[in-house]
Amino acid sequence: MSTTQPAFLTIDRGTATAAAGLIGHVGGRWRLLGAAAAPAEIADEALAERLRRRLAAVDPGFADDLGLASAGAAGDLVRLTCSTETPPELAVVAATDRAVAALANVAAAAGWRVRAAVVDGGDILETVAMLADRRLDGILAGVSDPPNGDERSLLAELGGLVTAAAERRPDLLVVLAGGLAGPGAKTGALLRSERPGPTVVAPAVDAQDGELLRALLDELRGGSREGRRGLAVAAGTLATVLRRRIEIVEIGQASATRIAAGWQPGTTPDIRSAVVADAALLPRGFGEDELDAILGWLTTSSDRLRVRDRLRDMSLAAWSDAAGDGALLRMAAGRAALARLRDETAAFDDLPPPDLLIAAGGCWQPAPAPAVALAVADVMRRPGVRALALDQARILAPLGTISDDRERALIITDLRDDILVPLGSVVLPGGLRGGGVAGSLTIEAGGGPVKIDLLAGGLELVDLAPGEKAALNLQFREPVDLGAHARHFAVEVVGGLAGLIVDLRGVPLRLPDRAEPRRELLAGWQGVLWEEAGR
Amino acid sequence: MSAAWLAEIPARRLVEEGLEERVALAPGDQPLVAVGDTVEPGTALLARLRDAHVEEVDVRAPDGEALIPGSAFTALLTHRGRGDAQLEGELLAPVPNRARRWRLVTGEHRVTVGAVAGGTVTAVQPGSEIRIALGGRAVRGAFGAGQAARGPLTVVTDALGELRPGGIDVGQVGNILVVGSRIDAEALTRARAMGIRGIVVASLAGKELRDFQASERRQRAALHPAEPFAVLVLDGAGRRPLSSPLAALLAGLEGVEVAILLDPPALVFDVPDLPAPAMPEDWVRVRGGRYAGAEGRVLGLSGVRRFAGGVHLEAARVAFGEDEAVDVPLGDLERLG
Repeated sequence: MSTTQPAFLTIDRGTATAAAGLIGHVGGRWRLLGAAAAPAEIADEALAERLRRRLAAVDPGFADDLGLASAGAAGDLVRLTCSTETPPELAVVAATDRAVAALANVAAAAGWRVRAAVVDGGDILETVAMLADRRLDGILAGVSDPPNGDERSLLAELGGLVTAAAERRPDLLVVLAGGLAGPGAKTGALLRSERPGPTVVAPAVDAQDGELLRALLDELRGGSREGRRGLAVAAGTLATVLRRRIEIVEIGQASATRIAAGWQPGTTPDIRSAVVADAALLPRGFGEDELDAILGWLTTSSDRLRVRDRLRDMSLAAWSDAAGDGALLRMAAGRAALARLRDETAAFDDLPPPDLLIAAGGCWQPAPAPAVALAVADVMRRPGVRALALDQARILAPLGTISDDRERALIITDLRDDILVPLGSVVLPGGLRGGGVAGSLTIEAGGGPVKIDLLAGGLELVDLAPGEKAALNLQFREPVDLGAHARHFAVEVVGGLAGLIVDLRGVPLRLPDRAEPRRELLAGWQGVLWEEAGR
Repeated sequence: MSAAWLAEIPARRLVEEGLEERVALAPGDQPLVAVGDTVEPGTALLARLRDAHVEEVDVRAPDGEALIPGSAFTALLTHRGRGDAQLEGELLAPVPNRARRWRLVTGEHRVTVGAVAGGTVTAVQPGSEIRIALGGRAVRGAFGAGQAARGPLTVVTDALGELRPGGIDVGQVGNILVVGSRIDAEALTRARAMGIRGIVVASLAGKELRDFQASERRQRAALHPAEPFAVLVLDGAGRRPLSSPLAALLAGLEGVEVAILLDPPALVFDVPDLPAPAMPEDWVRVRGGRYAGAEGRVLGLSGVRRFAGGVHLEAARVAFGEDEAVDVPLGDLERLG
C-alpha cells in the first residue's frame, strides 16, 4: 500500500456479515480511523460511506485532508478485500475404514465439509449415490503410498468408483491421494482428460502427518483472496511484529478457524492453521448433539423447541435478533462452536502455549468485549497466563492478502496498537485440588499492591484498564500448572476491557449435570462481566 | 430519488427472475429430457425408480462405443431352461477385475415425475440432477418441505391468520393455499390427505416441520403415494405475519396457476404483467428481535445504540404507526430492494 495514497479500505466479507476498516496515513504511520460491520448483503460502498461520514463528522478538516469530505468520496479509495464462502463439500472415499478416517480428518481440517464412504464392506449403491450427489464439489480418494496389503485388493474397485463418479459428475474436482495416483492404480489414466473438472494428484495422507495434503486441500478451497488464508498469513506477521506467540480462534457463520503462529528471531513465522466447517456457529449438519451443547451453555431457562426455532432463524438471518436474550443465545452458540473447534484441533495443544489468544469472527462482533473474554476463557482452558484480545475491526484477514511480506509487515507494525481490542489477561492454573483457599495473589499496579485470597473453584475479576500493566505475585499452597509446575509465580500482565481474570475453576471446566444448578453457576460467572459491559 | 443511507438497511427482492430449479436424480432414475429441451408444466422430466437394487450383468457395448457409467443399458439374462429375459437399468460401475462384467442398477417400479414450472433444461447428469432455467418469476422462501407441486393459488387467511385442520374446505382440493402466519403438522397432513397441492405460510415451527417430514416419508414409502404436496415457508421458524407487500402480491395471484419448488425453495408464477406492490421507499419490516413482524417507516439512521444485554448495534429510527419512533438494530430490519 503506497503512502502516496492517504487512506485505504479493508473489506472482510463473510457469509453472514461484512466488516470494513478505514485506514489512513497519520503522522507518518498508518492508523485505523474507523471500523464498521453490517449484514453481508450490504454493499461495500454503503459501509465505506458510513465510515467516511463518521470521520467527516468527528474531524472535518482531517477528512478533507484525506479527500473524504464529500459524500461518496470513500468509494474511490483503494480496497484490500477478502471473503469467506460457505465451505464446499467433499466426498472422501477410501478402501478401508482406517484410511477413510485419516483422509476425512485432514479434509475437515482444510475447511471442507466432509462426507465419507468406505469401499470395503460398503453399500455400492449408496456410495455411488453419494459420489454423484448434486451438492458435492469434489471427491478425495486415496490409499497409502505404496498401498497397504488390505488396500491393494480394493484398488481396482476404488478406482472404478471414482471414474464412474467423474463420468456422472464431470464437473467435480477429483483429488487422487497417495498410491491411488501411482502407476499401479491407473486411476488418473481412466479419468477423461477433456472433462471440465480438474484432477489433482496429491501426496498420501501420512506424508508429514497429513500437513502436505491439508495444505493442498486448503489451496483448492476458495480463491486467492480467501479470508481465512489471509487471517493465517496476517497471524504470522503479527506474531513477528509483536514478538509473541499468538493463537487465533475464529468462529464464523459457516466455518471456524484455529491458527497458531510462533515467532523465532531471524526466521520466518511458524504458522499452523485449521479451518473446520463443523465448528461453525451453526454447522450445516446441526442436530441434537449441537443443540444440547448450546443448551449446556445457556443461562436462561428456555424451552428446547423454542431455542431450536430461534437457532434456525439465526441460521437464516445471522445478523438478526442480536440483542437481549438473542445475545445470550448467540454467546452460548459461540461457546459450543468454540468447543467443537478446540476438540477438532486438539493437536494444537501439543504446540507451545500462546502468549496472546485472539478471538475473531462475526460470532463475537455484537457481544460486549468482557463477555467475549469470559467465553474464550470458559472454553480454551490451557493452563497458563496469557493476554486476550478481540479482532473486532476485522482488518487482519484483509491485511493478510497483501502478497509482499515486507509491505504487510510495515503496515501491521504501524497498526499494531489499533488492530486488536485488548480484552485483558487470564491467569488459569491447572491442577488445583479441592475447594477453599488455594493461595494468594498480590497485584502491583499503578495504585499500589493489592492482596487477594485465591479460592479454588472461583473466578476473580480485577479491574485493570486497557494498556495498564500489573505485576502479579501468585503463591499457591500446592504446586499448580501455570505453564510450569510450581507454587510461586511472578508474572506481568496487561489489562483490557475485561481487566484481569483469575480463573480458578479448574481444568477442564466441570459444570453440574443438572440444568438448573448449571444455569445458576454460568449466570453467576457471566453476570459480572455482562454488568461490566452495561456500565 | 432514494436517500443514500437506505443502502445501509438490508433489502429483500420481492420478485426474482431467472431462477434455476434443481431436480435430484438418484442412480437408476431415468431422465426423460435432454439439455436444451423446453419443458412446460406437466412435461415428464424423469422416471423415478422406487425399488432400486444392483445386479451384476455381462455387458457388451455396441460396436465402437464405450460403456459409460450413468447410461441406460438393457442386459440380456439367460436362464437355463426358461428362455431369455431383459433387464433394463443404468450402468453403475464395472465389477473390478472382471472383463465385461458391470453392476446395473435396476428395479421394477418407476414413477414418472413431471415438471411443475416451465423453462429450459440446462443440465442433465444421470444419478445426480436435472437443472431447469425457469421462464417465470419467483418469490423465494426460507425453506420448503414435501415434493414440488403445482396448482391454482388460493388465499385462505389474512396475513396474521392460522389454518386449523378443520378449516380446510373440500372446495380447495387441487389448490395451493396461502396461510398467513402459521400452520401445524396436523393441518398439513390433513391438507395433503384431502388433495390440497401445497401450502404457502410465513412461518413453521421446527417441531411441526419435523412431524410433517416424518409423515411425508411414510407417505412416500407407501405403495400408492399421494399426489405431490409441497410446503413453502417464507420467513422462518418463529411466528410472524406475512409481510404486507407479499400478502398484496399473493392476493394478486389468486386463482393463478403457481408452482412450489423445493430447490431452491420458491413460489413460481408465469404472469409477466403482474405489477409488484408499490411500497414507500422508507417502508421497513422487522425480521427478528423484539418487534419481529412489525412494519413501519424508517426515519433515519441512529448510529450505534446500546440495546438489552449491553449489546451495541448500528440502529435506525423507525416509526410503527402512530406510536413513538424507536431505535431498531439495522440487522433486524429489511426493506424492499
